[in-house]
Amino acid sequence: MSKFKKEGKKSAPGVNTSSLPDIVFMLLFFFMVATTTKEADPTVEVKIPSGVRATDMTPYKQRSEIDFAYLGVPRNKARAAEFDMGYALFLDNVEQPAPGELYNTNSIRKWKQDKYDEKRARVKKPISEVITCVKADKGAPTGIIFDMRTELQEIEALTIAYAVRDNSNI
Amino acid sequence: MAKRDIPEINAGSMADIAFLLLIFFLVTTTMDRDQAYKRRIPKKIDVPQPPVEIQNRNIFSILANSAGEVYIEKRDGRIQNLDDLSDKVLEFYQKNEKLTPDEALVAAANPNHPGNNYPFYTWTDEEFIKGEILKAEEDLEKTENTENVDPAIVDFKAQILSKWMDKQKALEMYGKDYLPEIDYQAHCRITVQQATTYELFTKIHSELNEAIFQLRDEASKEIFNESYGVISRRFDNDQSREDADKLSLLKLLYPDNFIEVKPKR
Repeated sequence: MSKFKKEGKKSAPGVNTSSLPDIVFMLLFFFMVATTTKEADPTVEVKIPSGVRATDMTPYKQRSEIDFAYLGVPRNKARAAEFDMGYALFLDNVEQPAPGELYNTNSIRKWKQDKYDEKRARVKKPISEVITCVKADKGAPTGIIFDMRTELQEIEALTIAYAVRDNSNI
Repeated sequence: MAKRDIPEINAGSMADIAFLLLIFFLVTTTMDRDQAYKRRIPKKIDVPQPPVEIQNRNIFSILANSAGEVYIEKRDGRIQNLDDLSDKVLEFYQKNEKLTPDEALVAAANPNHPGNNYPFYTWTDEEFIKGEILKAEEDLEKTENTENVDPAIVDFKAQILSKWMDKQKALEMYGKDYLPEIDYQAHCRITVQQATTYELFTKIHSELNEAIFQLRDEASKEIFNESYGVISRRFDNDQSREDADKLSLLKLLYPDNFIEVKPKR
């Protein structure tokens, strides 16, 4: 009767997957290019405040030129109580061992100098141009940052950057 | 020899390998860009020097205490809404911008003039710059020819010369008969307390950057018909000489002199 006669059960044709590797490779290359590896996984909790018109640090060659210092509340709550204001520094994968440490042993000075010595061959810049980027928590006391500045001043590491999350529309 | 077929390589597992790599990069990727306010720490002075007298009109002093209150010393007093801060900075820079040098002299002498409490601009013309360059060249030559001279002094003299050369180039680019320059002492000063939060501290820096950006952006659009953001981003990418000169002119017109004062213990 009907013009469109139902044919017998036909097996669905297989989807051609030969272009799948191409698609996957494309995605792969995108992520390979867009990737920036994390320098460290800080054990202090840092919630960065937001601001506008910040300088983008990406041009500084994949961040390897920048030294990051984290300032936040230790994730280990028992340790947080040890510190005056509850904030500890996290440098180079090591959390500040004791509250007084920062001031007693000039650890920041040593840390920065070591970092600079290690990459001196790669980065042809005087130490005064190598950026120290402070990633501090919203509530972190600025006094600690100024103590860091004094330490950095001693070894002439004169460029500092205060990290923010930029929310200005470019 | 008989012709033999070259066996095809089975590429069926290629996708698997690619997937594996893809997933690795997916997991390790952090997409957030690092953004920050870049600032210079002043050089340490070994020999204590007598403090330089700075007129109040050249200081824009921001105080931020541990209770989160912000004051502008000797100007507006307490700032309720922090977003207004950038407008105040703009006012600080722009109040006397349009005054001619003669008008500025009159305003400086008259305490009732509305611009009296704001930094004044000087206009530098080509002749003056040329004269200074000649002077600096002679001075540099003389220093170089002196026996047993400290290389730091030669360096210093060379810096003075290059500063005036930069100004000459800037003036050429500016396209007017003179280069307006804000008083070299004019600066913004941030004073905090030990427990002032980082959030408030960066908010102040954010407002300062916003103001400087606006000033330079306006000037940039007027002179180069291009936004300041576009120029500086292009410079980040290709570091071209032309953009460097453009940026240095904008920086000469609106210098970002910020001083951060260490809180007392």
